Amino acid sequence: MTNEGVRYFKNIREAILTTAKGMKITLKYWVKEPAITIEYPDRLGKGRTAEDLVSERYRGFLKLDPSKCIGCLQCMRACPIDCILIKVEKIGEERYLTRFDVDQSKCMYCGLCVEVCPTGAITFSKRFEGACYDIGELCIKHLQEPVSVARPKAKKKEE
Amino acid sequence: MHSLAGIIYDFLVARFGRSDLLDPLFGLAGYLIPCFVVLGVVSTISGLLTYFERKVSADIQNRIGPNRVGPYGIFQFVVDGIKLFLKEDIIPDAADKFLFRLAPYIVFSSTILAAIVIPFGGPFIIADLNIGLIFIIVVSSLVVVGFLMSGWASNNKWALLGGIRSAAQIISYEIPAAFSLLTVVLIAGTFSMQEIVMKQGPWPWNWFLFHNPFTFIAFFIFVISGLAEINRLPFDFPEAESELVSGYNTEYSGMRFGVFFLAEFANIFVSASIAAAVFLGGGNIGLDPYKSGIVYQLLMVLVFFAKVLTLCLVTIWVRWSLPRLRIDQMMSMCWKYFIPISFSCLGLTAVWLLIFNGNGIFWRISG
Repeated sequence: MTNEGVRYFKNIREAILTTAKGMKITLKYWVKEPAITIEYPDRLGKGRTAEDLVSERYRGFLKLDPSKCIGCLQCMRACPIDCILIKVEKIGEERYLTRFDVDQSKCMYCGLCVEVCPTGAITFSKRFEGACYDIGELCIKHLQEPVSVARPKAKKKEE
Repeated sequence: MHSLAGIIYDFLVARFGRSDLLDPLFGLAGYLIPCFVVLGVVSTISGLLTYFERKVSADIQNRIGPNRVGPYGIFQFVVDGIKLFLKEDIIPDAADKFLFRLAPYIVFSSTILAAIVIPFGGPFIIADLNIGLIFIIVVSSLVVVGFLMSGWASNNKWALLGGIRSAAQIISYEIPAAFSLLTVVLIAGTFSMQEIVMKQGPWPWNWFLFHNPFTFIAFFIFVISGLAEINRLPFDFPEAESELVSGYNTEYSGMRFGVFFLAEFANIFVSASIAAAVFLGGGNIGLDPYKSGIVYQLLMVLVFFAKVLTLCLVTIWVRWSLPRLRIDQMMSMCWKYFIPISFSCLGLTAVWLLIFNGNGIFWRISG
Protein backbone atom coordinates (compact mmCIF):
# COMPACT_ATOMS: atom_id res chain seq x y z
CA MET A 1 0.00 0.00 0.00
CA THR A 2 1.26 3.45 -0.81
CA ASN A 3 2.08 6.09 1.74
CA GLU A 4 -1.06 8.04 0.85
CA GLY A 5 -3.24 5.00 1.38
CA VAL A 6 -1.76 4.30 4.81
CA ARG A 7 -2.32 7.90 5.83
CA TYR A 8 -5.94 7.69 4.69
CA PHE A 9 -6.75 4.89 7.13
CA LYS A 10 -4.60 6.45 9.84
CA ASN A 11 -6.68 9.61 9.51
CA ILE A 12 -9.90 7.66 9.98
CA ARG A 13 -8.53 5.87 13.03
CA GLU A 14 -7.24 9.09 14.54
CA ALA A 15 -10.54 10.89 13.94
CA ILE A 16 -12.50 8.16 15.71
CA LEU A 17 -10.09 7.89 18.64
CA THR A 18 -9.74 11.62 19.27
CA THR A 19 -13.48 12.17 19.00
CA ALA A 20 -14.09 9.36 21.48
CA LYS A 21 -11.53 10.83 23.84
CA GLY A 22 -13.13 14.28 23.74
CA MET A 23 -16.61 12.90 24.19
CA LYS A 24 -15.45 10.85 27.17
CA ILE A 25 -14.17 13.95 28.91
CA THR A 26 -17.39 15.89 28.40
CA LEU A 27 -19.43 12.86 29.49
CA LYS A 28 -17.45 12.77 32.72
CA TYR A 29 -18.21 16.43 33.35
CA TRP A 30 -21.84 15.96 32.34
CA VAL A 31 -22.56 13.02 34.64
CA LYS A 32 -20.15 13.31 37.55
CA GLU A 33 -19.00 16.84 38.21
CA PRO A 34 -21.49 18.98 40.15
CA ALA A 35 -22.27 22.57 39.24
CA ILE A 36 -20.05 25.14 40.89
CA THR A 37 -22.24 28.14 40.11
CA ILE A 38 -23.14 30.47 42.97
CA GLU A 39 -26.64 31.84 42.37
CA TYR A 40 -25.59 35.25 43.57
CA PRO A 41 -28.31 37.63 44.58
CA ASP A 42 -31.24 35.55 45.83
CA ARG A 43 -30.32 31.88 46.13
CA LEU A 44 -27.11 31.82 48.10
CA GLY A 45 -28.30 29.08 50.41
CA LYS A 46 -29.47 29.23 53.99
CA GLY A 47 -27.84 31.85 56.16
CA ARG A 48 -25.36 32.94 53.51
CA THR A 49 -25.12 36.58 52.60
CA ALA A 50 -23.32 38.35 49.81
CA GLU A 51 -20.59 39.37 52.31
CA ASP A 52 -19.75 35.70 52.86
CA LEU A 53 -18.85 35.26 49.20
CA VAL A 54 -15.84 37.57 49.20
CA SER A 55 -12.43 36.76 50.58
CA GLU A 56 -11.15 37.57 54.06
CA ARG A 57 -9.21 40.71 53.12
CA TYR A 58 -11.69 42.05 50.57
CA ARG A 59 -11.66 45.82 50.07
CA GLY A 60 -15.30 46.83 50.26
CA PHE A 61 -16.92 50.00 51.52
CA LEU A 62 -15.03 51.90 54.23
CA LYS A 63 -16.31 51.30 57.76
CA LEU A 64 -15.89 53.59 60.75
CA ASP A 65 -15.79 52.66 64.41
CA PRO A 66 -16.62 56.05 66.11
CA SER A 67 -15.58 54.81 69.52
CA LYS A 68 -11.99 54.45 68.31
CA CYS A 69 -11.60 57.59 66.20
CA ILE A 70 -9.37 60.20 67.80
CA GLY A 71 -10.08 62.83 65.15
CA CYS A 72 -6.47 63.15 63.95
CA LEU A 73 -7.62 63.73 60.31
CA GLN A 74 -4.70 61.65 58.97
CA CYS A 75 -6.97 59.59 56.78
CA MET A 76 -8.45 62.76 55.29
CA ARG A 77 -4.99 64.01 54.40
CA ALA A 78 -3.79 60.64 53.12
CA CYS A 79 -6.70 60.23 50.73
CA PRO A 80 -5.40 60.91 47.20
CA ILE A 81 -8.81 61.89 45.84
CA ASP A 82 -10.24 63.67 48.85
CA CYS A 83 -13.26 61.50 49.32
CA ILE A 84 -13.15 61.65 53.12
CA LEU A 85 -14.49 64.73 54.90
CA ILE A 86 -14.11 65.00 58.68
CA LYS A 87 -15.06 67.90 60.90
CA VAL A 88 -13.90 68.13 64.53
CA GLU A 89 -15.39 70.88 66.71
CA LYS A 90 -14.51 71.95 70.17
CA ILE A 91 -17.48 72.47 72.48
CA GLY A 92 -16.26 73.52 75.89
CA GLU A 93 -13.34 71.30 76.84
CA GLU A 94 -14.51 68.31 74.81
CA ARG A 95 -13.62 67.77 71.17
CA TYR A 96 -16.48 66.39 69.15
CA LEU A 97 -16.57 64.64 65.79
CA THR A 98 -19.46 66.33 64.04
CA ARG A 99 -19.02 64.98 60.55
CA PHE A 100 -17.45 61.91 59.00
CA ASP A 101 -18.44 61.51 55.35
CA VAL A 102 -16.91 59.03 52.92
CA ASP A 103 -17.87 59.45 49.26
CA GLN A 104 -17.83 55.84 48.06
CA SER A 105 -18.56 56.92 44.49
CA LYS A 106 -15.11 58.52 44.35
CA CYS A 107 -13.21 56.04 46.53
CA MET A 108 -10.69 53.93 44.62
CA TYR A 109 -10.11 51.47 47.48
CA CYS A 110 -6.38 52.18 47.66
CA GLY A 111 -6.36 51.55 51.39
CA LEU A 112 -4.07 54.47 52.32
CA CYS A 113 -6.54 55.73 54.95
CA VAL A 114 -6.74 52.31 56.55
CA GLU A 115 -2.96 52.03 56.67
CA VAL A 116 -2.48 55.44 58.16
CA CYS A 117 -5.13 55.25 60.89
CA PRO A 118 -3.33 54.97 64.27
CA THR A 119 -6.23 53.38 66.15
CA GLY A 120 -7.79 51.23 63.47
CA ALA A 121 -11.00 53.19 63.48
CA ILE A 122 -11.40 53.21 59.70
CA THR A 123 -11.31 49.79 58.08
CA PHE A 124 -12.58 48.02 55.01
CA SER A 125 -15.91 46.23 55.31
CA LYS A 126 -16.93 43.40 52.99
CA ARG A 127 -19.90 45.28 51.57
CA PHE A 128 -19.67 45.67 47.80
CA GLU A 129 -23.21 46.13 46.54
CA GLY A 130 -23.27 49.86 45.85
CA ALA A 131 -25.95 50.06 43.16
CA CYS A 132 -28.38 52.92 43.75
CA TYR A 133 -30.55 55.37 41.84
CA ASP A 134 -28.76 58.57 42.85
CA ILE A 135 -25.02 59.05 43.10
CA GLY A 136 -25.54 61.13 46.24
CA GLU A 137 -26.66 58.03 48.10
CA LEU A 138 -23.11 56.73 47.84
CA CYS A 139 -21.78 59.62 49.93
CA ILE A 140 -22.10 57.83 53.23
CA LYS A 141 -22.50 59.87 56.40
CA HIS A 142 -21.09 57.75 59.17
CA LEU A 143 -22.15 60.06 61.99
CA GLN A 144 -25.73 61.11 62.55
CA GLU A 145 -24.99 63.11 65.74
CA PRO A 146 -21.80 64.54 67.27
CA VAL A 147 -19.64 62.00 69.06
CA SER A 148 -16.87 62.88 71.43
CA VAL A 149 -13.50 61.80 70.15
CA ALA A 150 -11.83 58.84 71.71
CA ARG A 151 -9.00 59.53 74.11
CA PRO A 152 -7.25 56.26 74.78
CA LYS A 153 -4.42 57.82 76.85
CA ALA A 154 -6.82 59.78 79.08
CA LYS A 155 -8.86 56.66 79.67
CA LYS A 156 -5.80 54.82 80.88
CA LYS A 157 -5.13 57.50 83.46
CA GLU A 158 -8.64 57.24 84.88
CA GLU A 159 -8.21 53.55 85.39
CA MET B 1 -54.20 3.00 3.96
CA HIS B 2 -52.29 1.84 7.00
CA SER B 3 -51.68 5.28 8.42
CA LEU B 4 -53.21 7.83 10.71
CA ALA B 5 -54.87 9.58 7.76
CA GLY B 6 -56.45 6.31 6.66
CA ILE B 7 -57.64 5.49 10.16
CA ILE B 8 -59.29 8.90 10.61
CA TYR B 9 -60.85 8.63 7.15
CA ASP B 10 -62.31 5.22 8.00
CA PHE B 11 -63.61 6.54 11.31
CA LEU B 12 -65.32 9.51 9.66
CA VAL B 13 -66.90 7.33 6.98
CA ALA B 14 -68.21 4.92 9.62
CA ARG B 15 -69.56 7.80 11.69
CA PHE B 16 -71.25 9.96 9.04
CA GLY B 17 -71.84 7.48 6.25
CA ARG B 18 -70.31 7.43 2.80
CA SER B 19 -71.40 10.09 0.35
CA ASP B 20 -69.84 11.69 -2.72
CA LEU B 21 -70.34 15.17 -1.29
CA LEU B 22 -68.48 14.61 1.97
CA ASP B 23 -65.87 12.17 0.72
CA PRO B 24 -63.19 14.74 -0.26
CA LEU B 25 -63.88 16.54 3.03
CA PHE B 26 -63.17 13.35 4.97
CA GLY B 27 -59.97 12.79 3.06
CA LEU B 28 -58.86 16.36 3.75
CA ALA B 29 -59.71 16.08 7.44
CA GLY B 30 -57.89 12.76 7.63
CA TYR B 31 -54.66 14.42 6.49
CA LEU B 32 -55.07 17.87 8.07
CA ILE B 33 -55.86 16.80 11.65
CA PRO B 34 -52.75 14.63 12.14
CA CYS B 35 -50.68 17.25 10.30
CA PHE B 36 -51.65 19.94 12.77
CA VAL B 37 -51.15 17.57 15.68
CA VAL B 38 -47.67 16.65 14.45
CA LEU B 39 -46.86 20.32 13.82
CA GLY B 40 -47.74 21.06 17.42
CA VAL B 41 -45.86 18.05 18.74
CA VAL B 42 -42.72 18.76 16.72
CA SER B 43 -42.74 22.44 17.70
CA THR B 44 -43.11 21.55 21.36
CA ILE B 45 -40.36 18.98 21.13
CA SER B 46 -38.02 21.42 19.42
CA GLY B 47 -38.83 23.92 22.15
CA LEU B 48 -38.00 21.33 24.76
CA LEU B 49 -34.79 20.54 22.89
CA THR B 50 -33.65 24.16 23.30
CA TYR B 51 -34.21 23.66 27.02
CA PHE B 52 -32.27 20.38 27.01
CA GLU B 53 -29.53 21.97 24.98
CA ARG B 54 -29.06 24.70 27.54
CA LYS B 55 -29.33 22.31 30.46
CA VAL B 56 -26.89 19.76 29.02
CA SER B 57 -24.40 22.44 28.05
CA ALA B 58 -24.66 23.80 31.58
CA ASP B 59 -24.06 20.35 33.06
CA ILE B 60 -21.04 19.81 30.83
CA GLN B 61 -19.58 23.17 31.79
CA ASN B 62 -20.35 22.74 35.52
CA ARG B 63 -23.04 25.40 35.41
CA ILE B 64 -26.70 25.21 36.44
CA GLY B 65 -28.52 26.44 33.34
CA PRO B 66 -32.06 27.82 33.25
CA ASN B 67 -33.76 27.20 36.59
CA ARG B 68 -36.06 30.15 37.21
CA VAL B 69 -39.17 29.56 35.08
CA GLY B 70 -41.16 26.64 36.41
CA PRO B 71 -39.71 23.55 38.07
CA TYR B 72 -36.07 23.19 36.95
CA GLY B 73 -36.70 25.98 34.43
CA ILE B 74 -38.70 23.70 32.16
CA PHE B 75 -40.86 26.55 30.82
CA GLN B 76 -37.88 28.63 29.76
CA PHE B 77 -38.56 27.92 26.09
CA VAL B 78 -42.14 29.23 26.39
CA VAL B 79 -40.88 32.47 27.85
CA ASP B 80 -38.24 32.72 25.14
CA GLY B 81 -40.95 32.29 22.52
CA ILE B 82 -43.08 35.03 24.11
CA LYS B 83 -40.06 37.29 24.18
CA LEU B 84 -39.41 36.70 20.48
CA PHE B 85 -43.05 37.47 19.69
CA LEU B 86 -42.83 40.80 21.48
CA LYS B 87 -39.61 41.86 19.77
CA GLU B 88 -39.65 44.36 16.96
CA ASP B 89 -39.67 42.76 13.54
CA ILE B 90 -37.08 44.55 11.42
CA ILE B 91 -36.74 44.19 7.66
CA PRO B 92 -33.66 45.95 6.25
CA ASP B 93 -34.34 48.67 3.67
CA ALA B 94 -32.01 47.11 1.11
CA ALA B 95 -33.47 43.62 1.53
CA ASP B 96 -35.57 41.86 -1.06
CA LYS B 97 -38.70 42.09 1.03
CA PHE B 98 -40.74 39.30 -0.50
CA LEU B 99 -37.97 36.68 -0.39
CA PHE B 100 -36.90 37.91 3.04
CA ARG B 101 -40.37 37.26 4.41
CA LEU B 102 -40.76 33.95 2.60
CA ALA B 103 -37.46 32.29 3.52
CA PRO B 104 -38.11 31.28 7.18
CA TYR B 105 -41.32 29.53 6.24
CA ILE B 106 -39.65 27.53 3.49
CA VAL B 107 -36.98 26.38 5.92
CA PHE B 108 -39.52 25.48 8.58
CA SER B 109 -41.99 23.77 6.28
CA SER B 110 -39.32 21.64 4.61
CA THR B 111 -38.36 20.44 8.06
CA ILE B 112 -41.93 19.69 9.07
CA LEU B 113 -42.69 18.01 5.73
CA ALA B 114 -40.20 15.27 6.61
CA ALA B 115 -42.27 14.59 9.73
CA ILE B 116 -45.12 13.38 7.50
CA VAL B 117 -43.48 10.03 6.85
CA ILE B 118 -41.88 9.54 10.25
CA PRO B 119 -43.41 6.53 12.01
CA PHE B 120 -43.99 7.71 15.57
CA GLY B 121 -44.55 4.13 16.67
CA GLY B 122 -47.67 2.05 16.30
CA PRO B 123 -50.12 3.32 13.70
CA PHE B 124 -49.04 6.91 14.30
CA ILE B 125 -47.69 7.92 10.91
CA ILE B 126 -49.46 10.61 8.93
CA ALA B 127 -49.00 9.06 5.52
CA ASP B 128 -47.17 5.80 4.94
CA LEU B 129 -45.87 6.71 1.48
CA ASN B 130 -44.34 3.85 -0.45
CA ILE B 131 -41.47 6.20 -1.35
CA GLY B 132 -41.12 7.42 2.26
CA LEU B 133 -37.34 7.34 2.49
CA ILE B 134 -36.85 9.08 -0.84
CA PHE B 135 -39.43 11.65 0.21
CA ILE B 136 -37.36 12.44 3.31
CA ILE B 137 -34.15 12.80 1.29
CA VAL B 138 -35.82 15.08 -1.24
CA VAL B 139 -37.68 17.22 1.25
CA SER B 140 -34.72 17.71 3.56
CA SER B 141 -32.64 19.09 0.71
CA LEU B 142 -35.36 21.69 0.12
CA VAL B 143 -33.96 23.52 3.16
CA VAL B 144 -31.13 24.76 0.95
CA VAL B 145 -33.58 26.89 -1.02
CA GLY B 146 -34.71 28.63 2.15
CA PHE B 147 -31.18 29.18 3.41
CA LEU B 148 -29.92 30.57 0.11
CA MET B 149 -33.05 32.70 -0.18
CA SER B 150 -32.61 34.23 3.25
CA GLY B 151 -28.91 34.76 2.66
CA TRP B 152 -29.46 36.47 -0.68
CA ALA B 153 -32.49 38.51 0.33
CA SER B 154 -30.81 39.93 3.42
CA ASN B 155 -28.40 41.88 1.19
CA ASN B 156 -25.67 41.34 3.73
CA LYS B 157 -22.31 39.77 3.00
CA TRP B 158 -22.27 37.60 6.13
CA ALA B 159 -25.74 36.33 5.40
CA LEU B 160 -24.86 35.60 1.78
CA LEU B 161 -21.69 33.74 2.76
CA GLY B 162 -23.68 31.75 5.28
CA GLY B 163 -26.29 30.86 2.69
CA ILE B 164 -23.70 29.78 0.16
CA ARG B 165 -21.82 27.73 2.72
CA SER B 166 -24.99 25.99 3.82
CA ALA B 167 -25.84 25.19 0.20
CA ALA B 168 -22.38 23.72 -0.40
CA GLN B 169 -22.48 21.76 2.84
CA ILE B 170 -25.99 20.38 2.63
CA ILE B 171 -25.68 19.35 -0.99
CA SER B 172 -22.38 17.58 -0.29
CA TYR B 173 -23.62 15.73 2.75
CA GLU B 174 -26.87 14.69 1.06
CA ILE B 175 -24.90 12.07 -0.85
CA PRO B 176 -23.41 10.02 2.02
CA ALA B 177 -26.66 10.37 3.97
CA ALA B 178 -28.69 9.01 1.05
CA PHE B 179 -26.19 6.18 0.41
CA SER B 180 -26.22 5.08 4.02
CA LEU B 181 -30.02 5.05 4.05
CA LEU B 182 -29.96 3.00 0.86
CA THR B 183 -28.01 0.20 2.56
CA VAL B 184 -31.07 -0.34 4.74
CA VAL B 185 -33.34 -0.22 1.72
CA LEU B 186 -31.30 -3.08 0.22
CA ILE B 187 -32.03 -5.22 3.28
CA ALA B 188 -35.64 -4.21 3.80
CA GLY B 189 -36.54 -4.16 0.13
CA THR B 190 -38.91 -1.23 0.58
CA PHE B 191 -38.87 2.55 0.84
CA SER B 192 -41.89 2.72 3.13
CA MET B 193 -40.87 3.88 6.60
CA GLN B 194 -43.51 1.85 8.41
CA GLU B 195 -42.47 -1.36 6.66
CA ILE B 196 -38.81 -0.68 7.40
CA VAL B 197 -39.71 -0.43 11.08
CA MET B 198 -41.88 -3.56 10.92
CA LYS B 199 -39.06 -5.58 9.33
CA GLN B 200 -36.91 -4.96 12.38
CA GLY B 201 -37.50 -6.39 15.82
CA PRO B 202 -37.69 -5.24 19.41
CA TRP B 203 -34.21 -6.38 20.41
CA PRO B 204 -30.89 -4.79 19.42
CA TRP B 205 -29.88 -7.84 17.37
CA ASN B 206 -33.03 -7.41 15.29
CA TRP B 207 -32.15 -3.86 14.42
CA PHE B 208 -30.67 -2.97 11.04
CA LEU B 209 -27.84 -1.30 12.97
CA PHE B 210 -26.45 -4.76 13.83
CA HIS B 211 -27.58 -6.50 10.68
CA ASN B 212 -24.06 -6.58 9.33
CA PRO B 213 -20.85 -4.56 9.88
CA PHE B 214 -21.56 -2.30 6.93
CA THR B 215 -24.92 -1.08 8.19
CA PHE B 216 -23.17 -0.42 11.49
CA ILE B 217 -20.75 1.91 9.69
CA ALA B 218 -23.59 3.34 7.61
CA PHE B 219 -25.46 4.31 10.78
CA PHE B 220 -22.58 6.43 12.01
CA ILE B 221 -22.09 7.97 8.59
CA PHE B 222 -25.77 8.83 8.51
CA VAL B 223 -25.70 10.37 11.97
CA ILE B 224 -22.61 12.46 11.22
CA SER B 225 -23.82 13.64 7.82
CA GLY B 226 -27.15 14.31 9.51
CA LEU B 227 -25.30 16.63 11.86
CA ALA B 228 -23.84 18.37 8.82
CA GLU B 229 -27.21 18.61 7.08
CA ILE B 230 -28.87 20.27 10.05
CA ASN B 231 -25.95 22.67 10.51
CA ARG B 232 -25.03 21.46 13.96
CA LEU B 233 -21.60 21.65 15.43
CA PRO B 234 -19.02 20.47 14.50
CA PHE B 235 -20.39 21.43 11.08
CA ASP B 236 -22.08 24.75 11.82
CA PHE B 237 -20.35 26.67 9.02
CA PRO B 238 -23.49 28.43 7.80
CA GLU B 239 -23.80 30.27 11.08
CA ALA B 240 -20.27 30.09 12.46
CA GLU B 241 -20.52 32.76 15.14
CA SER B 242 -16.82 33.53 15.17
CA GLU B 243 -16.57 33.91 11.39
CA LEU B 244 -19.94 35.08 10.07
CA VAL B 245 -21.93 37.08 12.60
CA SER B 246 -24.81 34.65 12.65
CA GLY B 247 -24.79 33.38 9.06
CA TYR B 248 -27.90 33.39 6.95
CA ASN B 249 -30.15 34.66 9.74
CA THR B 250 -27.98 37.66 10.64
CA GLU B 251 -30.58 40.22 9.55
CA TYR B 252 -33.56 38.43 11.03
CA SER B 253 -35.18 39.52 14.25
CA GLY B 254 -38.29 38.81 16.25
CA MET B 255 -40.43 35.84 15.35
CA ARG B 256 -38.86 35.39 11.92
CA PHE B 257 -35.64 34.57 13.69
CA GLY B 258 -37.71 32.42 16.03
CA VAL B 259 -38.96 30.38 13.10
CA PHE B 260 -35.39 29.75 11.94
CA PHE B 261 -34.46 28.75 15.45
CA LEU B 262 -37.44 26.44 15.74
CA ALA B 263 -36.59 24.86 12.38
CA GLU B 264 -33.05 24.23 13.56
CA PHE B 265 -34.20 22.29 16.59
CA ALA B 266 -37.03 20.56 14.74
CA ASN B 267 -34.30 19.40 12.36
CA ILE B 268 -32.46 17.71 15.22
CA PHE B 269 -35.62 15.86 16.14
CA VAL B 270 -36.41 14.86 12.55
CA SER B 271 -32.87 13.68 11.87
CA ALA B 272 -32.78 11.71 15.12
CA SER B 273 -36.16 10.11 14.44
CA ILE B 274 -35.11 9.03 10.93
CA ALA B 275 -32.00 7.41 12.38
CA ALA B 276 -34.09 5.78 15.12
CA ALA B 277 -36.73 4.48 12.73
CA VAL B 278 -34.38 3.26 10.02
CA PHE B 279 -31.47 1.84 12.02
CA LEU B 280 -32.66 1.39 15.60
CA GLY B 281 -35.98 -0.35 15.04
CA GLY B 282 -38.20 2.66 15.68
CA GLY B 283 -41.18 1.86 17.85
CA ASN B 284 -41.10 -1.86 17.13
CA ILE B 285 -41.89 -4.00 20.18
CA GLY B 286 -42.55 -7.18 18.27
CA LEU B 287 -46.29 -6.69 17.87
CA ASP B 288 -48.41 -5.74 14.90
CA PRO B 289 -48.80 -1.94 15.10
CA TYR B 290 -52.32 -1.96 13.65
CA LYS B 291 -53.98 -4.89 15.40
CA SER B 292 -52.66 -4.63 18.96
CA GLY B 293 -54.45 -2.73 21.72
CA ILE B 294 -54.13 0.97 22.44
CA VAL B 295 -51.87 0.34 25.46
CA TYR B 296 -49.33 -1.50 23.31
CA GLN B 297 -49.59 1.18 20.65
CA LEU B 298 -48.77 3.87 23.20
CA LEU B 299 -45.91 1.70 24.46
CA MET B 300 -44.57 1.69 20.89
CA VAL B 301 -44.70 5.48 20.84
CA LEU B 302 -42.86 5.55 24.15
CA VAL B 303 -40.14 3.23 22.86
CA PHE B 304 -39.75 5.34 19.74
CA PHE B 305 -39.46 8.59 21.69
CA ALA B 306 -36.98 7.04 24.11
CA LYS B 307 -34.71 6.17 21.20
CA VAL B 308 -35.17 9.58 19.58
CA LEU B 309 -34.49 11.43 22.80
CA THR B 310 -31.28 9.46 23.32
CA LEU B 311 -30.10 10.37 19.83
CA CYS B 312 -31.05 14.03 20.39
CA LEU B 313 -29.04 14.10 23.60
CA VAL B 314 -26.09 12.59 21.75
CA THR B 315 -26.42 15.35 19.15
CA ILE B 316 -26.34 17.98 21.87
CA TRP B 317 -23.48 16.21 23.63
CA VAL B 318 -21.45 16.21 20.40
CA ARG B 319 -22.06 19.91 20.02
CA TRP B 320 -20.62 20.74 23.41
CA SER B 321 -17.62 18.42 22.99
CA LEU B 322 -16.16 19.06 19.58
CA PRO B 323 -14.80 22.25 18.05
CA ARG B 324 -15.82 23.42 14.60
CA LEU B 325 -13.85 21.94 11.72
CA ARG B 326 -12.12 24.05 9.11
CA ILE B 327 -14.15 24.45 5.93
CA ASP B 328 -11.65 22.53 3.77
CA GLN B 329 -11.58 19.75 6.37
CA MET B 330 -15.36 19.59 6.22
CA MET B 331 -15.31 19.27 2.44
CA SER B 332 -12.51 16.70 2.36
CA MET B 333 -14.26 14.72 5.09
CA CYS B 334 -17.33 14.48 2.89
CA TRP B 335 -15.80 13.88 -0.52
CA LYS B 336 -12.68 11.91 0.41
CA TYR B 337 -13.98 9.85 3.32
CA PHE B 338 -17.75 9.69 3.68
CA ILE B 339 -18.75 9.23 0.06
CA PRO B 340 -16.26 6.40 -0.68
CA ILE B 341 -17.00 4.68 2.64
CA SER B 342 -20.77 4.92 2.32
CA PHE B 343 -20.62 3.80 -1.30
CA SER B 344 -18.52 0.77 -0.40
CA CYS B 345 -20.93 0.07 2.48
CA LEU B 346 -23.75 -0.01 -0.03
CA GLY B 347 -21.88 -2.36 -2.35
CA LEU B 348 -20.61 -4.62 0.41
CA THR B 349 -24.06 -4.91 1.94
CA ALA B 350 -25.34 -6.10 -1.42
CA VAL B 351 -22.53 -8.68 -1.55
CA TRP B 352 -23.29 -9.73 2.04
CA LEU B 353 -26.95 -10.25 1.22
CA LEU B 354 -25.96 -12.39 -1.78
CA ILE B 355 -23.52 -14.54 0.19
CA PHE B 356 -25.59 -15.01 3.37
CA ASN B 357 -28.89 -15.29 1.58
CA GLY B 358 -30.30 -12.06 3.03
CA ASN B 359 -29.51 -12.95 6.64
CA GLY B 360 -27.89 -10.69 9.17
CA ILE B 361 -24.95 -11.36 11.44
CA PHE B 362 -27.22 -12.42 14.30
CA TRP B 363 -29.67 -14.36 12.13
CA ARG B 364 -29.39 -17.50 14.30
CA ILE B 365 -30.45 -15.61 17.43
CA SER B 366 -33.15 -13.58 15.77
CA GLY B 367 -34.46 -16.71 14.09
